[in-house]
Amino acid sequence: MSSLKECSIQALPSLDEKTKTEEDLSVPWKVIVLNDPVNLMSYVVMVFRKVFGYNENKATKHMMEVHQLGKSVLWTGQREEAECYAYQLQRWRLQTILEKDD
Amino acid sequence: MIEFSLQIGTRIIRAILPELKKFFVVSPEFEDYTQVFPDQDDVDFNEAWIEGLANDAKSDRSALARFLESPRLQYGRVEVKEEDIDDLLRGITELRFTIRKTSLKNFDDSVLECGMDNLNLKDESVRIGYFGYLLLAEVQEKIICEIA
Repeated sequence: MSSLKECSIQALPSLDEKTKTEEDLSVPWKVIVLNDPVNLMSYVVMVFRKVFGYNENKATKHMMEVHQLGKSVLWTGQREEAECYAYQLQRWRLQTILEKDD
Repeated sequence: MIEFSLQIGTRIIRAILPELKKFFVVSPEFEDYTQVFPDQDDVDFNEAWIEGLANDAKSDRSALARFLESPRLQYGRVEVKEEDIDDLLRGITELRFTIRKTSLKNFDDSVLECGMDNLNLKDESVRIGYFGYLLLAEVQEKIICEIA
């Protein structure tokens, strides 16, 4: 099962450290998955389990939020980890955005 | 290796396969990218991000090509090597996005979700696109069941 530890640093885009302000680094970021018209429910659940290591119930709960509400916050935390999760989710073709957790 | 048979009849599969290969040829390597920071317009970051995703997606495309060229697929048999499973699942998703945006572009999501009773399948390109879309969904569902 994939996890954050397996997130390939080389695969991630190189980000100019100067663009990361102190605020960016200290404020928590939310990893948000948006609904899309193509991906199967079972596929989305599988991806959430693979990327976050969630159990079936938790992954299904988030999938249903995405399906019914249009989006779900999958994880909240430091920006670099959030980027890593977002990259993995987009790698699986789930529409994912990051927002500051104000 | 995982193996299973498809429910869709072989006559339909044989009719759809050449069309799926055409969709594959015209499909982009990686599209529909969602800007990860919607409120930030950092061009360099976004370019690096999408370049990374596009590079990683090459193995997905290769796995999808092997799947479409599999000799037994025309008989409704699917065989996937363990190491190809994740790549193939992603590759199929990419192809389904392509079909959704081309053959099935005139349908609302709600209409598509309700099934073929609500679709006008008189148009051949729509019909082929729809059955291809279903076939790929069945493959994904069965792979996910197999690995669960």
